[in-house]
Amino acid sequence: MSIIRVKFKRGDEVKFISHLDLMKVFERAIRRARLPIAYSQGFNPHPGMVFGLPLGVGVTSEAEYGDFEITDDEMSPQEFADRLNLQLPKGIEVLSAKKKVSKQNIMATIAASEYIVIVGTPAESSQKTLKAAIDKYLSQEEIVVKKRTKNGVKDTDIRGMIFDLNFELQPCGTFNIIRFTALVSAGSKANLKPDLLIESLCGYLGIEYEIDRIHRTKLFVRSQDQLLDPMEEVV
Amino acid sequence: MSVKLSDALLKSVEKPSRYTGNEWNSVIKDPKSVDIRFAFCFPDSYEVGMSHLGMKILYHLLNERNDCYCERVFAPWTDMEEKMRQNSIPLYGLESKDPIRDFDFVGFTLQYEMSFTNIINMLDLAGIPLTSDKRSDSDSFVCAGGPCAYNPEPLADIIDFFMMGEGEEIINEVMDAYAKWKGTGRSRQEFLEDIAKIEGIYVPAFYDVSYNEDGTISSFEPKKPDYPVKIKKRIIKDMDKAYFPEKIIVPYTDIVHDRIMLEVFRGCTRGCRFCQAGFIYRPVREKSHKRLLELANKLEESSGYEEISLTSLSTSDYTELHELTTGLLDEMEEKKVNLSLPSLRIDSFSLDLMEKAQKVRKSGLTFAPEAGTQRLRDVINKGVTEEDLINAVSLAFNGGWNGVKLYFMLGLPTETMEDVEGIADLAYKVVNAYKNVPREKKGKGLNVTVSTSSFVPKAFTPFQWEPQDSREILNEKQMFLKSKIRSKQVTYNYHENRLSLLEAVFARGDRKTCKVLLKAWEMGCKFDSWGEHFKFDVWMKAFEECGVAPYFYATRKREYEELLPWDHIDIGVSKKYLINESKKALEGKITPNCRVNCGGCGATIFDSGICGGN
Repeated sequence: MSIIRVKFKRGDEVKFISHLDLMKVFERAIRRARLPIAYSQGFNPHPGMVFGLPLGVGVTSEAEYGDFEITDDEMSPQEFADRLNLQLPKGIEVLSAKKKVSKQNIMATIAASEYIVIVGTPAESSQKTLKAAIDKYLSQEEIVVKKRTKNGVKDTDIRGMIFDLNFELQPCGTFNIIRFTALVSAGSKANLKPDLLIESLCGYLGIEYEIDRIHRTKLFVRSQDQLLDPMEEVV
Repeated sequence: MSVKLSDALLKSVEKPSRYTGNEWNSVIKDPKSVDIRFAFCFPDSYEVGMSHLGMKILYHLLNERNDCYCERVFAPWTDMEEKMRQNSIPLYGLESKDPIRDFDFVGFTLQYEMSFTNIINMLDLAGIPLTSDKRSDSDSFVCAGGPCAYNPEPLADIIDFFMMGEGEEIINEVMDAYAKWKGTGRSRQEFLEDIAKIEGIYVPAFYDVSYNEDGTISSFEPKKPDYPVKIKKRIIKDMDKAYFPEKIIVPYTDIVHDRIMLEVFRGCTRGCRFCQAGFIYRPVREKSHKRLLELANKLEESSGYEEISLTSLSTSDYTELHELTTGLLDEMEEKKVNLSLPSLRIDSFSLDLMEKAQKVRKSGLTFAPEAGTQRLRDVINKGVTEEDLINAVSLAFNGGWNGVKLYFMLGLPTETMEDVEGIADLAYKVVNAYKNVPREKKGKGLNVTVSTSSFVPKAFTPFQWEPQDSREILNEKQMFLKSKIRSKQVTYNYHENRLSLLEAVFARGDRKTCKVLLKAWEMGCKFDSWGEHFKFDVWMKAFEECGVAPYFYATRKREYEELLPWDHIDIGVSKKYLINESKKALEGKITPNCRVNCGGCGATIFDSGICGGN
């Protein structure tokens, strides 16, 4: 048994499928590719696959990760990736693959995610005024938002979940296009969805906004208090 | 120009992947490279439509043609429809996202009557005139086929032409005729005249209907002498040579039947008198087990599905069932593909097979005695005896199964309260059979479910002249049966009979019922087969406003001499045979399985399948 960690992208063609459906896509692609995936025992054998962090509906990504358990230790990660790519639908593509040595489960170790969020707002603020306002937003001790959880809506302080927040403003007629780059907490312990951050920020700034698109650019795992690229962590 | 579906719009609806296409094995072509664009429409949700085998076959068959681009269209769910109407987005093909009003053909498959309002709604969403007489030369041709096309009359004003019977050959013939017609400058009418010559094509506008004072039909005449008086259904003679796709679309989102469907044979030799499928699909034609194994392998390879299901009307009757299942189990086990076996008669062979095939819990087995007494089972020609049922459940209980579902119909012709009580008796006998099984052999905790639906008389069955029970009587029977079932081990479910009344109207409706469909749609009816959308009161209002009495169609006894709305359709089974079967039914006489003895139904004219001397 060995485990192959795969980095893949999800494009526009597949941004509306759910996390559960994505797992089925991989399961069936693996079957078509005749890859030697390991199955669990029991009534309903499951293929040995674990994915990093579910992506929100409508979000694209160039940094998705999955661990695949295979029964053939001789198979190279490259062969695994190549054969899988031939069977994946348009929009999903394996970008790289490595043999995983660390014991860490990808899902359990995800700690942060970077997103680009493109937002349209009425052309009221300039780069300079916006910069000052965002600095003020971030300088708050706590930022409380209403977060939807399994047990209803809960007040949550998200200040500690925002690691970095940058933006570029581009005037576009009567509109400003703001391109945010946000590094935020992700994973099972603390998870900040980018649309919630933008909602909170724009609420604070008192500006009208519309999210045009959200794209995940990076995902990090935590290893001894360091944020690492999941592909680096494996070696 | 394809429609624009914004992210915000798609994010605001349930299961947006139903509307975005791009599934594995879906066919993408350059629209400029083809002459014919075909919108294959299923008038229900994506999940239901994508589970339909006929669509899978015809979609790929049409796309094999270089001159044709066939796309799928489903009824958008109500949340999506609202958004589409708000944003003026017309109904589009899932592959290209192009509006289907620009397509050459918009074809509907008619699987059940209660999808008819969705057809109207989809035409409206597409921006295509709802009735044939309003369409001009620039409009798409609206066509239809499928089991409900055998009584096409309720849709006669809406559909330009019907294709009767199995579609694999006729649809290609129509496409060939269209390729010749297109670009010649000849009119819409002339194209319909061209194809009316193809066997199996029915153009409703080419016929005049007149009525008697009592509302029955007095005459049904072609408007010109060269239009066919009788429209003969088409069948595929050799199932091994029939087209079957080697690739099928693998959807992203869960659909109702999310697996490979292997069609084992068409037709059924049992001749149950209530069953329309048992008559319209005659004669029985099988695929060889070799061809099926070949298809199973190719489909598994191209789809990656983890389950194969054998489909037919009665899989136990398949001549090569043993060879097929042995072969499938051999080849699929190592690929970790499950074999699912619906419509198997329960006996020691099938139980053994199920044990081998499905590594699932031994929970539920389904039986359909359909009627509670032997007398009534003889009337409907359901060749199952009480002894058969008790033997089968005893075998199952001995093998560790502990759940049994029993399906029955209420309101069958000649049914009395004694027959209804017989249903409860039968359920108790099943409970006793469980008690008689040694404790160490049986599963823990028996669960018997009795389900009743209401009988809907269908065209082209020996019961096509029979009245449906009124809702009052059906309610009474349901309540009576409920009072008779008092065991904790037996659960009783019954189906909503208001829907059955409407099914009975449109299953045997004439052209007058078409305006009721249009009116009901106008008043907001759609997705009628979905409980949450079914508006019975609105339907009743629509009937009233159109001056059409539903009872004339549902609960009226017809005479054998009456000219029936579907008499111009020829399914190969003669009316004489159906009358004879009807008389035998009322006398409680059974007709043997065609494999045992040819009953002379007329299907020998096809010279195929078991009627072809095989």
